[in-house]
Amino acid sequence: KEQYYSEQHSSLINKAYRTLLNPLSRGLYLLELNGVEPAQETDCDADSAFLAEIMEINEKLAEPENEDILEEIETLIKVKQEELTKEVTAAFEKDDLQEAKKLLAKMKYFANLEDKVKNKKIPS
Amino acid sequence: VVDHYENPRNVGSLDRNAKNVGTGLVGAPACGDVMKLQVEVDENGRIVDARFKTFGCGSAIASSSLATEWVKGKTVDEALKIKNTDIAKELCLPPVKLHCSMLAEDAIKAALADYKLKQDPNKEESEKKA
Repeated sequence: KEQYYSEQHSSLINKAYRTLLNPLSRGLYLLELNGVEPAQETDCDADSAFLAEIMEINEKLAEPENEDILEEIETLIKVKQEELTKEVTAAFEKDDLQEAKKLLAKMKYFANLEDKVKNKKIPS
Repeated sequence: VVDHYENPRNVGSLDRNAKNVGTGLVGAPACGDVMKLQVEVDENGRIVDARFKTFGCGSAIASSSLATEWVKGKTVDEALKIKNTDIAKELCLPPVKLHCSMLAEDAIKAALADYKLKQDPNKEESEKKA
């Protein structure tokens, strides 16, 4: 029985650690703690320039392998994620939860792109 | 049964600068999917061609593929009646993927709204002044 409890605790701690380590999941958890639900509705032209940018990066990624372009895209994504993380931090510090919510939604798109780049790098 | 998951139809782009092409660009913040849907409308207000590009899960791709198939041949007003529930039903989407069909419905509406705006730029001007 003790082992069961230990396992439960261990699992929870791992989950907590993972959640807090990643800026996006950490941010979303903070929103949740403050009673704000993460963005659910479709983004329509609300920020069409942003969506167009995401589309463009996706399209570039979909093109055939080119290591240099892949590196470029990876760097771009990293830079954007760092920028957004800073902006989200500032929003939370100002207690502007709606702004944090919007920014975290943007981070989600970049997190997906990050995963796609990682998958492309794995030798098949 | 047409298989929109394995063989999506109408993948691609139309000329977004053409006056009779409407472009809808939508995103799902919860899952980070993006969907672009374009329609080409003839002089009679009938949709003659449609293309899409979706980056996201299989259900999102299938939903937009189905959406482009469905809008073809419809008039703008008929296409506006397409509901996400119809798409979801046709594709037998599980509950967790229902938002994908909603995304497709929103993409159709966004594309048609863009088309309408292009047809009547004066309307937009007068609405701005009002």
